[in-house]
Amino acid sequence: MTGPTILFEDIDERGLNTIDVYRRRGGYESLRKVLTTMQPSEVVDELMASGLRGRGGAGFPSGRKISFIPKVDVDKYLVCNADESEPGTFKDRELMQKSPHMLIEGIVIGAFAAGATKSFIYIRGEYVEQADIIDAAIVEAREAGFLGENILGSGFGLTLHLHRGAGAYICGEETGLLDSLEGKRGNPRLKPPFPANQGLYQGPTVINNVETLATMPHIIKMGGAEYAKIGTETSAGTKLVSVSGNVQRPGNYEIELGISSREIIYGLAGGPPEGRAVKMWFPGGSSSPVLTGDDLDIAYDFNTLAQAKSMLGSGAIIVVDDSVPVVSVALKLAKFYKHESCGKCTPCREGTRWTVSMLERVDQGLATPMDLDIMASVQEQIIGNCLCVLGDAMAMPIGSMVAKFRDEFEAHIEAARARNPWAGEGPPDPDPVLVQGASGA
Amino acid sequence: MPRPAPDTIAFTVDGLEVNAPAGMMLADAAKLGDVEIPVFCYEPKLGEPVGACRMCLVEIEGIPKLQTACSTPVRDGMAVNTQTARVKEAQEAVLEFLLINHPLDCPVCDKGGECPLQDITYGWGPGRSRFIEPKRHFVKPLALSPLIAIDRERCILCYRCVRFSQEISEDYQLVLQERGADSYVSTFDGHPYVAPFSGNIIELCPVGALTSQPYRFRARPWDIEGSGSVCLGCPGQCNVEYTVRDERVLRVLSRQHDGVDDGWLCDRGRFGYQSFHVDERVTHPLVRVDGELIPVAWDRALDEAAAALGGAGSDSGALAGGKTTNEEGWLLQELFRGALGSPNVDSRADGMLPRELHAALHAPALQATVPDLEFAHAVLVLDCEPVDDQPSLDLRIRKGVRRNGVKLAVASSRPSSLDANAAAVVRYAPGAGEAFCAALNGALGESDAGPGSATRKGVVEELAEAAGADADAVRALAAVLADAGEDVVIVYGERLTHGARGEDAARALLNVCGRVAEAGHDGAGLLEVPAGTNGRGLREVGVLPNAAPGLAPVSPVGLASAELGASAAAGAISALYLLHVDPLRDLPGRATWRAALQRADHVIAHADFLSEGLWEYATIVFPAESYAEKEGTITHPDGRVQRLRPAIARPDAVRAEWNVIADLSKRLGHDVSVLSGAMASARVFEAIPFYAGLTLDELGGRGLRWPARPAAAGWPAADTGPFGLETPPHAPTPNGALRLGTFRSIWAAQEVEVAPALKFLRQRQRAELHPVDAERMGLAHGDRVTVGSNGSRVQATVVLRSGVPEGSVFLEAGIAEESASELDGGGLVEVSPQ
Amino acid sequence: MSWTPGDEMLVVQRASPPGAAGGTYRAFGETLRGLKTTMSRLVEGPKTISYPEEKVPVYPRFRGRHRLHRFEDTGLEKCVGCSLCAAACPADCIRVVAAENTPENRVSAGERYAAVYEINLARCIFCGYCEVACPFDAITMGHDYEMSAYNRTDLIFTKEMLLDEPLERTPLRGEGE
Repeated sequence: MTGPTILFEDIDERGLNTIDVYRRRGGYESLRKVLTTMQPSEVVDELMASGLRGRGGAGFPSGRKISFIPKVDVDKYLVCNADESEPGTFKDRELMQKSPHMLIEGIVIGAFAAGATKSFIYIRGEYVEQADIIDAAIVEAREAGFLGENILGSGFGLTLHLHRGAGAYICGEETGLLDSLEGKRGNPRLKPPFPANQGLYQGPTVINNVETLATMPHIIKMGGAEYAKIGTETSAGTKLVSVSGNVQRPGNYEIELGISSREIIYGLAGGPPEGRAVKMWFPGGSSSPVLTGDDLDIAYDFNTLAQAKSMLGSGAIIVVDDSVPVVSVALKLAKFYKHESCGKCTPCREGTRWTVSMLERVDQGLATPMDLDIMASVQEQIIGNCLCVLGDAMAMPIGSMVAKFRDEFEAHIEAARARNPWAGEGPPDPDPVLVQGASGA
Repeated sequence: MPRPAPDTIAFTVDGLEVNAPAGMMLADAAKLGDVEIPVFCYEPKLGEPVGACRMCLVEIEGIPKLQTACSTPVRDGMAVNTQTARVKEAQEAVLEFLLINHPLDCPVCDKGGECPLQDITYGWGPGRSRFIEPKRHFVKPLALSPLIAIDRERCILCYRCVRFSQEISEDYQLVLQERGADSYVSTFDGHPYVAPFSGNIIELCPVGALTSQPYRFRARPWDIEGSGSVCLGCPGQCNVEYTVRDERVLRVLSRQHDGVDDGWLCDRGRFGYQSFHVDERVTHPLVRVDGELIPVAWDRALDEAAAALGGAGSDSGALAGGKTTNEEGWLLQELFRGALGSPNVDSRADGMLPRELHAALHAPALQATVPDLEFAHAVLVLDCEPVDDQPSLDLRIRKGVRRNGVKLAVASSRPSSLDANAAAVVRYAPGAGEAFCAALNGALGESDAGPGSATRKGVVEELAEAAGADADAVRALAAVLADAGEDVVIVYGERLTHGARGEDAARALLNVCGRVAEAGHDGAGLLEVPAGTNGRGLREVGVLPNAAPGLAPVSPVGLASAELGASAAAGAISALYLLHVDPLRDLPGRATWRAALQRADHVIAHADFLSEGLWEYATIVFPAESYAEKEGTITHPDGRVQRLRPAIARPDAVRAEWNVIADLSKRLGHDVSVLSGAMASARVFEAIPFYAGLTLDELGGRGLRWPARPAAAGWPAADTGPFGLETPPHAPTPNGALRLGTFRSIWAAQEVEVAPALKFLRQRQRAELHPVDAERMGLAHGDRVTVGSNGSRVQATVVLRSGVPEGSVFLEAGIAEESASELDGGGLVEVSPQ
Repeated sequence: MSWTPGDEMLVVQRASPPGAAGGTYRAFGETLRGLKTTMSRLVEGPKTISYPEEKVPVYPRFRGRHRLHRFEDTGLEKCVGCSLCAAACPADCIRVVAAENTPENRVSAGERYAAVYEINLARCIFCGYCEVACPFDAITMGHDYEMSAYNRTDLIFTKEMLLDEPLERTPLRGEGE
């Protein structure tokens, strides 16, 4: 069994995106409970007790994140990160499309706990339909008195704005998102200062993923201690996983953290097509280091995956079967990250471009096995040296692929070299004059 | 606002114990222990670090990941390692990455030899690259502006230029386009990056991506010598370093001085050097023979000048322009007062202020300094436009507002570029500075007396109306100044104290100052923006009709410049001596001055270029030194005496000007015994009580603020108010016509007209109008109009600006053609389409 | 004390004079022995190099007057005016003033070219550092050693002079010579 369903319990009910149906299913009751009977610190305590960890990728405990907000009398902000751009991840889309009020309720609860009076949803530009649905839901919620001044007579007020991004992966990085929200070029900021101290418009800011916020009403309803009983000790609760790639039944599934990965990939998603075997799989979106078919039996939770030198990330499982060459996966991935690198810091900007050109040479048969060593070393040079995690997001999976599938890379090089008449000459340089001027390094 | 005074802490870097101020960034603090951490994007002048280049990664004990030294403040007990294998690996990795897309055309690149990327690669680089793929290619080189060439292939995307444009000069023109490895620096719409401070990005660029068009390929670092001096372009007196090759100045760089310029230069100062070497320059003494100026030998020119001056005796007068040094000014007044017995010397453009008011306005107790602007609680910018009048102040004020939260108040008649940063803005009618000060004084008094004092209330309304300003805006501005704190600095333009009522305006200003800034309190007070570069120094060395050196009393009192002009026009003055000034260009009242120059028997001038007035009327012209050739001292508006040092030899027959004046003086029987530039300086320091004890050695390369020295006690005591004042006159009612305001833009200067690189910025007359006025008169943006008054008229192009107050028109003065000084007073003009 | 020459006089022992035959041999025999060498060389012909009509051939690595080079295919100058030779020159005898290539006036392959390139051969010490410093192999040490002039200013060689072929080629010493 996959354990209890919390977020997806009524998800397929018709009209759940309207406030009437949502309230009929017990919606906004948690909010009423919070605003009428609880203090902000009690809400934070509840969240701490629940053991809820951020569902966006980093897995930081949500209660602690809110508790970092300084208790000073300045404008504070809550930002919901709905810029779900990680390849393979599509859980928030379903949540926002089918149950927008769950998110809004979560936002108001989170804002109350953090003392924020202004909140924003930053949604990726491609989610046009979802943005329209949320817009409509915000209007409904405001009319019903769940947003605006003096919510439910508690004296607590909150404004909520939906901001549509323009389609940049980097704006899913929290500080890049804040810059974009402020109207600037979406580049990550230097940390510290962390958003909890100086975030949006220099004010203290909580930034949470859609799923994290949507879970909050349920934690209030069940009680933090009760929620913590679900899942494992360090990874409490349920998680939405988006399974995609070479599986028979791709889609979003809600699972209890800690079940075996095989159960998700084979049990829920039906495994790869007949006659194929799992070659590798990304456990947490395209930026997590890959695991192989041998790792299918490990438990799907934060700590176990970290021990396996990968990560749970956003909970997006991408399955690659043995019909797909690893080089094409690596190249596709590297091209994505090269395209999405913001260009602010050197290792990511230049490293992604270099990796792509090396992989292209591998693919075209213009490389030698020595280039694989260089590629592996370049990935190591990127990891940990960047301003934000985008560089790492490319370097970790590529590095793990080169390490785990080196034989296949080498075989690919050999096969491609045999095909390519230009092999061995290296790529033609377009500007011989400058090369002549080159000296030293 | 108190300046930060951090505690000293101890930390270790590579095992070496180092003391540094707490909060200093590690990259800077490590230098105190002689450990260099390489950086590209980090530049303290640009404000907050961005940590983009990742070059400065270091290992800090207790932190698992490598940290950027540029953004990590030092803490007590911190242990930093910059030499470990991990750090070396990261440094080599970053350099390898940076060089991937760098063309390595160092032999061709102008930066080669003085390039941080080159130096750091040699010092910290891996030695060889494993990159064999094609590099990124852009079209190159492109003109980013007529002054700057951009080579995008060389760019390492450190963001320095973009940050300068966005956060320092705040012109918001430069941006990064595209993303990732395809990013490139550009203006948003591809227009040329033309701004008053654009040249600074050349100096900021750590590679050869941004190069100076005029300097492009002129020399390599081993061909040149650096020579420090001070720019004489404006009262900002920025410290500069001339790059000299073969006795020619090829480039001007900033010689950072936090007390003066903060390390930035304006484009006029940076590229104006070309005017030293143009063919139009006067390099021989000229004498008018049969209506034409012909080059002659020095002896003949000096003899003729001595004869002319000797013949005129006390029927002579002298004017000194802003570029005159203290020594030249002092010798000039010696020549006139001592040799000729003529009291008619002046350095101010318009009107005479009583000696006591000069003494009060610049009293050391009321004197604010340039760095005070950065840390003040509030700054009032009054009747001046810093970006035009003294550009370095503009950046300083912006810095204070952006980084330290200084409250800025702007009061001027013409819209200011600082309006957007200001907490309060007041517009008043052109020339109504006095009435505005009175209104502000009233509003400040009102808040002192508490609200609701009915009698005072009416007064503010009345005075604001006289100033043509909005009473509520005046009150809001008063509130900003009153509520900010004790450190309030008032930056005012000298033009406030010009004209017939300048005296009253100065008293009104002192009244305001007395309300907001306590005398003797450090960090508060007045800071003047003089009209001429060395305006303050010239007044102090006695180039005033009513004051001798050291502002000592003088009798009889001579004629001020405007009276001198009128008197000459009436035929009462036989010889005029014009030291770096052309009245037709630099002074108001062109018609009077034209008559004066025509009528005077002898017009003796020192000039580097023959501007209109000299070309037509000068009888003897001595070639003037360019400011890279000058020797002497000048005085900054905040009292800093700075030293000029010659960087290049004087061309052709040009002689030191102190020598020329001293020679004339000797020929006229008044030997001042000045045989060298240093002797001239020594005589000036002797003659002026509050300069007493200064020596050139003591001034050194950074100058000294005399108000901060004990000798400042020699400054004449004066009453600084409060003064009882009569009600100022009402600003003229437009009544169908328009009030005329004038301004002098940063580009209205001789060097812009002659320097080949700057010629494209040459100003043409434009009439700035409010759209409502323009509509009433049926005028559109770009129309040609005639602006006339009392029969005098100038041609101009209409420029619509919504910030211009209704009923006013602004024209530019100080330009070569169609200057606003052509228009004859009265304050009201008619604008008619051509 | 008076000096008597007899006190310091040495008596020299002389051999007895040779006889007639011995005298005759001494007069002619030794002379003929010396002439034997002369006569034997006489048949080899004269060895004098009649400079300047004839020139001494130089070794291939002889460091003579500098040459500037052009690309053979495009005719563009190799020198980009980088001044590295001037920086390397220990005698400070090279002066370079660079300028920018334009599409109408393309002189070198890079962005810049040497508008002025002068070597003061009166100061040059022919160390060859300029050749080593040049990143484009634009300057090399040639083989000319005839650089005398009537006027010192004539020894300042301009770019055109350095680019041109020397009027006369200096003979090169062949392999093993």
